[in-house]
Amino acid sequence: MKRKKRLPWLYSTPALLLISAIIVFPILYTGYISFTNMNVFHWFDYKLIGFQNYQRALLKVDSGFLKAILTTLVWTIINMVLQVGIAYLIALGLNTPGLKLSRLYKTLLMFPWAMPAYVSILLWRVGIYNTEFGLLNKILVALGCDKMNFLSENVPAFLSCMVLNLWMALPFMIMMIDGALQSVDRCYYESATLDGAGFLVKNLYITIPSIKKIIAPAVIMTTFTTFKQFDIIYLLTLQKGSLTGSTLQTIITYAHQNAFVSNNYGLSSAVSIVIFLIIIVFSLYTNRGIKEEV
Amino acid sequence: MKKKCLVFGLIAAMLIGSFTGCSSKKSNNQATENNGTKETTTETKETTDDAQNTDETSGDTKANVEPVAITVWHDGADNIMQTIQDYVNEQLSADQITVTFEKKTGLTDQLKLYGNDSANGPDLYFYAHDSLGMFAEMGILAPVTDLVEASTMGDFLPMTVDACTYKDTQYMMPVYFETLLFMYNKALWEGEVPSTMDEIYDYMVAHTDTKAGTYALVNQHSTAYNVAPIINGFGGYIINEDAKPGLNEQATKDAITYNKKFAELEADGDYNTVTTLFNEGKAAAIMGGPWLVSGIQEAGIDLGIKALSSITLPNGNALAPYSGVQGIGVLKYAAENKKEAIAKVLTAISTDGLGIALCKSANCAPANGKSYNDADVSVNEMAMAMRATASTAVPMPNIPEMSVMWGPAESLLAAVNKSGDDVEKVADQYQKDAETAIKDMQ
Amino acid sequence: MMNKKTKKRIGLILLNIFFLTICFLALIPILYAFTLSVSGEGGAISSSMLPTSFTLKNYAAVLNEKPFLVWFKNSMVLSVGTMIVAMSFAVVAAYAFSRFQFRGKRAVLLLLLLLNAFPQILSMFAIFRLFKTLNLLNSQGGLILIYAGSMCIFSIWNMKGYFDTIPIEIEEASKIDGASNGQLLTKIILPLARPAIIVTSVMVLIFVWNEYLFATTFLLNDNSYTLAGGLYQLQANDYTRSWPMFTAAAIMVSIPILIIFFAIQKYMVSGLTAGGVKG
Repeated sequence: MKRKKRLPWLYSTPALLLISAIIVFPILYTGYISFTNMNVFHWFDYKLIGFQNYQRALLKVDSGFLKAILTTLVWTIINMVLQVGIAYLIALGLNTPGLKLSRLYKTLLMFPWAMPAYVSILLWRVGIYNTEFGLLNKILVALGCDKMNFLSENVPAFLSCMVLNLWMALPFMIMMIDGALQSVDRCYYESATLDGAGFLVKNLYITIPSIKKIIAPAVIMTTFTTFKQFDIIYLLTLQKGSLTGSTLQTIITYAHQNAFVSNNYGLSSAVSIVIFLIIIVFSLYTNRGIKEEV
Repeated sequence: MKKKCLVFGLIAAMLIGSFTGCSSKKSNNQATENNGTKETTTETKETTDDAQNTDETSGDTKANVEPVAITVWHDGADNIMQTIQDYVNEQLSADQITVTFEKKTGLTDQLKLYGNDSANGPDLYFYAHDSLGMFAEMGILAPVTDLVEASTMGDFLPMTVDACTYKDTQYMMPVYFETLLFMYNKALWEGEVPSTMDEIYDYMVAHTDTKAGTYALVNQHSTAYNVAPIINGFGGYIINEDAKPGLNEQATKDAITYNKKFAELEADGDYNTVTTLFNEGKAAAIMGGPWLVSGIQEAGIDLGIKALSSITLPNGNALAPYSGVQGIGVLKYAAENKKEAIAKVLTAISTDGLGIALCKSANCAPANGKSYNDADVSVNEMAMAMRATASTAVPMPNIPEMSVMWGPAESLLAAVNKSGDDVEKVADQYQKDAETAIKDMQ
Repeated sequence: MMNKKTKKRIGLILLNIFFLTICFLALIPILYAFTLSVSGEGGAISSSMLPTSFTLKNYAAVLNEKPFLVWFKNSMVLSVGTMIVAMSFAVVAAYAFSRFQFRGKRAVLLLLLLLNAFPQILSMFAIFRLFKTLNLLNSQGGLILIYAGSMCIFSIWNMKGYFDTIPIEIEEASKIDGASNGQLLTKIILPLARPAIIVTSVMVLIFVWNEYLFATTFLLNDNSYTLAGGLYQLQANDYTRSWPMFTAAAIMVSIPILIIFFAIQKYMVSGLTAGGVKG
């Protein structure tokens, strides 16, 4: 009986050890650095200075930070809803019986995912959104409209980042949902068809309940990824040398702008820990779904 | 029961395997496969010491010199680095010293990690001088004057040596310097290039059609480096010697307002956009430097050049761009471990021949004044224009605080030029951001 | 009957048109990259959608002038290595979390999820310190550990979700037949959960394939870079980028992933429906 208790731990030990080294240790180390005065002027001879960095980190929680939290929440919600919704419809289509080319379509739709993120973002910046050569502006000019800078003001910049995020993230979501759809037993549909159920009914009462449990982890994970998304907003609008003028900030870009450029590792570690705690509190209090899933 | 143990045992073995066997084997292979510059350097470190000892005792010098490999990290153009590498290696072939340049994107971040790691880090690094103060304060650099006599740099243009000096210590050996230039397409620019900014503006108004996408002059109008000629010329500053940001100084604000009317006629201002416009013949002129030349040549453009020091602002001052000195710095541990070899490398770099080679291959303006005696250099339009501009140019500040100034300064410019904010209203806010960023460094 | 068939055919044709449009829209940025990559030299970014000239010399240059094949090999070693480590650790752990009821299970699962919320880029410095002590810098093994560790939580969660949907009755039947836990896992769960395992493996593979920040920070010389890392190292800087080479290389980096993806699709059909074991 004792063995029976130990068995699951035994099975998960290798994974937990690895996670401890690569994920937990860095967090603890960041915690340690946050209590020191490690910065450019004390690069090697840093010492513990108590909670000073936290006092300063909390001062960063100002109106700009609150705005960044709000932006991040809106960003996460809109992106996730669109992402799951669109991916679900596309995956359904791909699973239509008789669609012979579905393998080809699936492969082509994976292309955006097969590129390193910085390559995709750069391609979008110059190929799609650029004011002189971007496709969107070429279309606008062809239609006789004025050129438009898609990244210089917050709302268009937000939408531009969102479209790019969808482009980059949809392939993964389509693949997850497509994989999950494989597990739905076809005979349910047959009997449902015999009962005269339509498209909507089949989806609401058969497909979605069947795949909900399978895709829930992926959706939760993607929510976190979207929440802490940095590359897209930073490389599209905030990169040094090609700032676009928009002041769109998420929590992570805000922290980067306000703590990390200063090379003060102590302070930026404290900011990281504060943000980490905020994320934890948020996810514990807002996402009941997580608890259900466990 | 046994099976379970087996499964777990296998996994444990894999974990251990991946930690030890796999990794160390791989890294060894990697290094040997690669003729391992790193491996050999560490070996030679020990062997040179040994060799020196035996040399002393036997009195036998130079007979069996051990080869030394020197690694230089850079984040620059390959052709320039290749020229330096070839030149130095040729000079030092008799000394058995080999220099290898390796490209590192995000060099400053890499040096923050490896700047103190003698096993994996570089021996030297090649970079612009504005990050010098930061590295010096971090304590990862050795003064070059510890390795070579100050007289080695006696022929250098004083401005370049000053730029490489932080708190009265010279941490960098200057190689060449850059300033912005007014570069124009001779086939497109009509008539002489005016010598006042106001006349240039009139020309721009007459020759720009934003809707058709044709421009008279393009510039990265929202980056601090590219607006510095106007800001400095107006008597404003981005940051002064006392590490005080000057974004809300009246002169800076006036300069930004003045720049804004140009910005409206200079396309988006993104680097890729403005260079493509110029290379495709859609812009008649561009504010740029030697780094643009290879693309311009490929595009087959007949390039004309005018020094910014010969263009005046409404207040009568000439444009005063930042000058950026590109040079070589020595990591502390390398200065300790490979003192003699590095001294020889630095001496080779200080000779006028390198400047001549760089000027010929990449239009660089040499830091060594003697290089300008060469016939080819003295007729190189670009190098001579930069040398002329050096008279009004302001060396980029190299204090550590400079590293946090680019962000707020660029944000202010982008807010004014791209989002249409009023400089009078937003300058204070970005000044405050800059002050906070500087305070955050401590 | 006839009517229904034609209706279905028209539906399929419409669906095909829909997917062709979607694919085209999704591929526009890639087509743009392709156009740049085949249109010869120049630092230009202003290509039209159709190339004005056609040359493959940029592709040839990437293959010949850059150590592309070495990088390709490194990418393969790293991504396959990571896949093996991460998946073998995660499958057993996910199995344990799915099949056993034990104290602390909920807490551990929740904790893992929250740990995942820590932005990984902030870990760089700490991992650097750790690896320097362990002498794992500049080693592919070290990098595999980083990648496997980063993907482990995702993999566990993702597969646990799928394992949960496999009816426990199948296992219980086998248990009565005398199968051990190890046998249950390899003979029953793995085949049944094949789509989830493949999807998760592909996710790990693509993550490693496209990762560049850790790759360029922890691997130090030209010959040890991965494709994404090498491309980043040589072409990320605006001032020294050659657009035609960059786009050619970017497309070549992506192609292997697409080939793999195309090849594995037929195995993604679930063991549940294909095997007809469903209880």
